[in-house]
Amino acid sequence: MTSASLAGPAERPAKPPRSLLVPAGIAAFLLITYWSVSAEFGIGLDLGEIFKDLGRGQIILADVLRPNFDFFERTIPSMLETIQMAIIATAIGCSIALPASFLASRVTSPNALVLRVDRGVLNVIRALPDLLYGMIFVAAVSIGPLAGILALILFNLGVIAKLLSETIDGVDVGPIEAARASGADRVETVRTAVYPQVLPNYVAFSLYVFELNIRASTVLGLVGAGGIGNLLNLQIGFFNYSNVGFIILELFLLVFVIELVSISLRRRLV
Amino acid sequence: MSGSADSLQGRPAAPSRTKRNIAIVAALALLGWALVSVDVQLDRLVDLPGRLASIFERMFLPPDWAYFGTAADEMMASIQMAWIGTVIGAVLSLPLGFFGARNVSSGPVSNVVRLFLNAVRAFPELVLAIVVFVPIAGLGPVAGALAIGVHSIGTLGKLTAEAVEGIDSGPVEAARATGSRPLQVQRWGVIPQVLPEVVAFWLYRFEINLRAAAVLGIVGAGGIGQILLNTLSYRRFDKAGMAIIIIVIATILIDYISGTVRRRIIEGSGARRIQGDVLEQPELVEVPGPGAPTGAGRS
Amino acid sequence: MIDFKDASVTYPGGVHALRNLTLQIPEGEMVVIVGLSGAGKSTLIRAINGLVPLTGGEVTVDRRSVTKAKGSELRKIRSRIGMIFQTFNLVKRTTVLNNVLMGRLHATPTWRSLVGRYRAEDVEIAMRALERVGIVEKAYVRAANLSGGQAQRVGIARALAQEPKIILADEPVASLDPPTSHVVMRDLQRINRESGITTIINLHFLDLAKVYGDRIVGMRDGRLVYDGTGAEADENVFRDIYGRSLTADDLLEATAAR
Repeated sequence: MTSASLAGPAERPAKPPRSLLVPAGIAAFLLITYWSVSAEFGIGLDLGEIFKDLGRGQIILADVLRPNFDFFERTIPSMLETIQMAIIATAIGCSIALPASFLASRVTSPNALVLRVDRGVLNVIRALPDLLYGMIFVAAVSIGPLAGILALILFNLGVIAKLLSETIDGVDVGPIEAARASGADRVETVRTAVYPQVLPNYVAFSLYVFELNIRASTVLGLVGAGGIGNLLNLQIGFFNYSNVGFIILELFLLVFVIELVSISLRRRLV
Repeated sequence: MSGSADSLQGRPAAPSRTKRNIAIVAALALLGWALVSVDVQLDRLVDLPGRLASIFERMFLPPDWAYFGTAADEMMASIQMAWIGTVIGAVLSLPLGFFGARNVSSGPVSNVVRLFLNAVRAFPELVLAIVVFVPIAGLGPVAGALAIGVHSIGTLGKLTAEAVEGIDSGPVEAARATGSRPLQVQRWGVIPQVLPEVVAFWLYRFEINLRAAAVLGIVGAGGIGQILLNTLSYRRFDKAGMAIIIIVIATILIDYISGTVRRRIIEGSGARRIQGDVLEQPELVEVPGPGAPTGAGRS
Repeated sequence: MIDFKDASVTYPGGVHALRNLTLQIPEGEMVVIVGLSGAGKSTLIRAINGLVPLTGGEVTVDRRSVTKAKGSELRKIRSRIGMIFQTFNLVKRTTVLNNVLMGRLHATPTWRSLVGRYRAEDVEIAMRALERVGIVEKAYVRAANLSGGQAQRVGIARALAQEPKIILADEPVASLDPPTSHVVMRDLQRINRESGITTIINLHFLDLAKVYGDRIVGMRDGRLVYDGTGAEADENVFRDIYGRSLTADDLLEATAAR
């Protein structure tokens, strides 16, 4: 390497200005946290106090961690009801959610009006807690699992339509072009070019929602909408914390089993 | 290849559908059992539309506008509850997520951590609140925040661990090859890849926790949930209607802000998928309709 | 027969993709369109089946106006035109056969397509199309597991399954290596000669254009600047079309040799 082939040192580029985004984000974060924690504006979180009161919790926790296995028989009817509610709500909710999702995605929706209306309705549905639906339906059809099922259907609709429509937004549009080019109409295009792409996600979301439904029914029971929640509430009311512990254990096992099944099912499909 | 005269030879046989059909039958059977055995009076469904209409009318036509102030205050409390819970969850789940990732921490350690996270996840916030935190912190938003926090550790921990496991091992290898210490490897090899995704999870969790906060109010954690419980129990539907409106507005607003920030973070990280190759024409961006261009990439 | 009458396309941003194009393509002809990126090749081809609507002028296919057609009429016209894409545009998650059956949608009642049960005759047509491109043994393989060349042949089979009168190919070999490109081009040529299907191909590589193009149409800046045979198209012609000297990027074999 005798003669230098470079004309001279290359010009160094100027350092780009540091983006304000990250420091702004951190500042916002700290501000909101302070506001939330302070006693004046927020909820008054005092970790010191809490640590002092942990003792109370310990006693209860001790009971909860010694579940009463004899309680099993009494939980069977409620558990079955929970499972039934979850199955029915998942089936109906997911069926309705499928077309709703297609209408809520800008890739597959027929026009801007339908898109906005559908998304708007779904946003409102998602904004409200399922317990609220539970309470309203209990007021409408009185207590029992029917109210719970109806509440869960709405809840499922909100969750799945959001997740699925976002998935649909991200599909490969190439096959859609191919379908249109071959003369397929909207329904056929969606069925052959979009649906196969999102099917694995749809199944995964449905299984996820089924699991959510099981957990939600604990809560719905509290307002009388059926499921294990009612029994749970009773036990808490009577301070039978080791029965409570058993119910929690049961639920944990149930959810665990469902998750195993769901993982293996999902693997089969993909 | 197959230019043979007998064109039926060389065609593969259609794969067997039995497994799939059995699965479908089983699922339908399950559904059938559930429908038959659930204890439901179907005749109540007949009254349903009428009853719903009447409730709806009393809630929103008109709602109790004067109640706005109270309801808004309580909504703030719920937002704060959700925020703190999310912060607790995020902060504590980050190290746990790393320890729970098989590729970053060792096999047995990660298994234990994952098990722990699953156990924590299994407790719905409600149960945690009622059983553990209300006795500790008394009724009110603090108990709610703690319950949300503990539950969030489980979910966020799992998602963080999965994100860490999903990273490209290249940068990590490169970091190790330069002789960096383990913590540095994490900081420079793993965190840059994972951080945008993880922060997006935190924001999404906040959206969900906001709903949880509303629910927890129903069991005594204060906030807007308490309002709902009181107003509905005393059948003051007009007040309940006001509370619901506030919930919807606040939730949609926060969802929107959170969603926008999430999208910016993900886009900025370069994780966005790029469609097709070099675009010759500007895209005609239109919702596909009959005869309308689809807006796909051109070359 | 395809007839462009003073056809223009101006995109919303102000780009003139086609300027007053007049062109006729008789039945059974194989036409290769060459030109730089942005010259209008892609727009021209997509104007034929209406994927890109004209903003001026008219294009007719077999005397039916594509420009004026809407809804089911447009779909009917499209069903007679098969299209092949540079990125293949297959549904990766499903089988090769299901992809080819997309070409039979126009003849399938909606309920059948919803449930995914096509008529036996349609499956037969799809299978024959696969045999024609020599890939039938992959009928039940997932489209994601195909190589580029195989995927494009499935794309061709899908177009053939429509039993089309016209085949449009938008840079069908741009993503393929040279030997595979020749295989695909030869398939297209063979189909054109055996079945008399009017074939219109956008090509990037000029050496391919010369070899396979009976008729070559050169586009530049949205205008037609050359219309002649492959034999007549020499370096000077190409330089006119491209507005510059040829580089190695413009030739398939040269790209491969690099």
